Amino acid sequence: MELKICDIYKSFGDKEVLKGVSLTAQSGKAFGLLGRNGAGKTTTIRILMDVFPADSGEILVDGAPIDYSKIGFGYLPEERGLYPKKKIIDQLVYFAELKGMGRSDAVKAVDHWLERLGMSEYRNKRLDTLSKGNQQKIQLITALAHDPEVVILDEPFSGLDPVNAMLLKDVVKEQIAKGKIVLFSSHQMNYIEEFCDSIAILNGGQVVLSGDLHQIKRDYPRDRLVVRSAQSEQILAQVAGAVPGEDGAVLVELADPAQKQAVMRQLAERFDVDEIRVFEPSLNDIFVQYAGDQE
Amino acid sequence: MKFFGKILRFELKNYLTNKVFVGITVFLMVALVLVLFFPRIAGAFDDGTVEETGDKPVMLVTGDGAQAVFPSFQAAFTDYDVRLYEGAVEQLQEQIREEAVECAFVLDGLTSYSYHVGNLSLYDANTAVADELLREVYRLEAMVGSGLAADDAAQIMGTQISHEVITLGKDQMKNYLYTYVMIMALYMVIALYGQMVATNVATEKSSRAMELLITSAKPTSMMFGKVIASCLAGLIQLVAVFGTALVGFQLNRDYWDADGMMASFFDIPLDLLVYMLVFFVLGFFIYAFLYGAVGSTASKLEDINTSVMPLTMVFIASYFVVLFSLTGDSVDSTLMKVCSYIPFASPMAMFTRIAMSTVPTVEIVISIAILIASVVGVGVVSAKIYRVGVLLYGTSPKIWDIIKMLRKA
Repeated sequence: MELKICDIYKSFGDKEVLKGVSLTAQSGKAFGLLGRNGAGKTTTIRILMDVFPADSGEILVDGAPIDYSKIGFGYLPEERGLYPKKKIIDQLVYFAELKGMGRSDAVKAVDHWLERLGMSEYRNKRLDTLSKGNQQKIQLITALAHDPEVVILDEPFSGLDPVNAMLLKDVVKEQIAKGKIVLFSSHQMNYIEEFCDSIAILNGGQVVLSGDLHQIKRDYPRDRLVVRSAQSEQILAQVAGAVPGEDGAVLVELADPAQKQAVMRQLAERFDVDEIRVFEPSLNDIFVQYAGDQE
Repeated sequence: MKFFGKILRFELKNYLTNKVFVGITVFLMVALVLVLFFPRIAGAFDDGTVEETGDKPVMLVTGDGAQAVFPSFQAAFTDYDVRLYEGAVEQLQEQIREEAVECAFVLDGLTSYSYHVGNLSLYDANTAVADELLREVYRLEAMVGSGLAADDAAQIMGTQISHEVITLGKDQMKNYLYTYVMIMALYMVIALYGQMVATNVATEKSSRAMELLITSAKPTSMMFGKVIASCLAGLIQLVAVFGTALVGFQLNRDYWDADGMMASFFDIPLDLLVYMLVFFVLGFFIYAFLYGAVGSTASKLEDINTSVMPLTMVFIASYFVVLFSLTGDSVDSTLMKVCSYIPFASPMAMFTRIAMSTVPTVEIVISIAILIASVVGVGVVSAKIYRVGVLLYGTSPKIWDIIKMLRKA
């Protein structure tokens, strides 16, 4: 399945929030939707989920306009919240029913997920008796219980301890392996790098960068080397174009990128080098570069 | 309206499992049962002897002519221990201050007196009774003085007039009580449940459950589900409470027959009950829709009270217009006639007029038709406000902003 958002425009009042957003996500892959606060991520997600219509543009599934009665969405909103005073099982079943499940199926699915996330003991407790991390796991069930084709996770890892984060990672990987489209939105770049094959960065309602994450990284000019060495000071003093990098590494700018093999050999011969590789920007660097100045 | 049924069931279950809702309903039912069974229970304990009523307060009669009126005072003021008094007024006042005596009449002939009392109660009618007694004694003496035999004079004074009332329209005296109670019930239920709808919506918004709800169900289904669920909950409560009262009364009818007021209260004609139901449902919807819409524009629960104020004002104003017309015996005034066509006031105004006066059928039909049309209109507008409102966070929008949004929606 291929989910395509084509050229979406949306204004609220005089404020143009989306100015021609286009994205493509594939089954069995995770897609990272990045952008600073107010860049238009939530609006894009809401239009995708048919909360309100776009002013123009369309959403296609395998080339045909999306049919919301066939494609199920699971959503973990960034602003978490369920009914604090209600029993967990009651509200989870209610939300599953609202996604179109029958009552007995809903109970079965919810129980399965409570078990899977180790929350069965809280089944008949009120939501507000749970800790924040556990509430978040409960909320995750609302996004997954009805086995949707598209899972949208907005900041899924915030507030989780490392053990729960690991559990969530497994669940996400499992969803990807099952052939779901997983749409990630997060500011924690390490998670995006870990899961997402392709990304899109939104800035001021426009996609400023999109595509395969590895390709994006490779497309950066490969004109710098990262050198880790016990002799950093000597390298900085003796090699032209060497500047201090992160974590005590040295960055060596290449005058001619085509000569990188030769330079690498040279450096390895002259100094006691632990590691030497071509510099690739981290997603963090890319994000700051593209989303840094909001229009 | 997808999932409307599921939302309705969920919302209704919320009410029916709510401890406060169940508690209040059961409390009212138990209280009514106790009240209605009271004469039966009291009767079981009653062994037929009339209890001694204890010490009655003392009333003194003194002055010029006290001897002549004393017997009739004694006969008229049965709640008092009426005594003749000979002595100074100062001492008498001293006794009143010391609360040995409650009140005293110091006569100055048969046509003038002063009434001495400690604290004058709001409901003290003693002077009115005394006026009447003195007038009677004075007239009797005057008649005898001008040559009439004492017996004849007494007979003339005591003549009784018999009369009979034939009601062609509504007997307002008989209908007054239950109309009053029904208007009260209508007011209470709409005010309470309307507020609850607004609070529920605002709670969903402030707890952010809304974020998830809007991606699952259409706002229209959510709002209609909520409003209709609370309408049903209100109806269930009304039926439970009034049903208990009715059954309790029927079971104890024999014990209450002596009490005309109680009997007239339960003698509600069936057609009036049907009107009650119609006006309740329509009146409920028109307010609950608006309360829901207003609730959707608030982002915090604290904002609710100020947001619903204008709506509550309109509602309270119509309630008082109806109430004052009802108690002020002007149910057919121009104001009431106008109000019975204004959708926000008509459920109470038209109902009162139907109950207390004779209203042409065509007027009732027009009023209900206007009301139904308004309910539909208000429902559509409220659903639009709701759809936009639930996604708005931050400061509550101004009325003008909402109108602008509506024009676009």
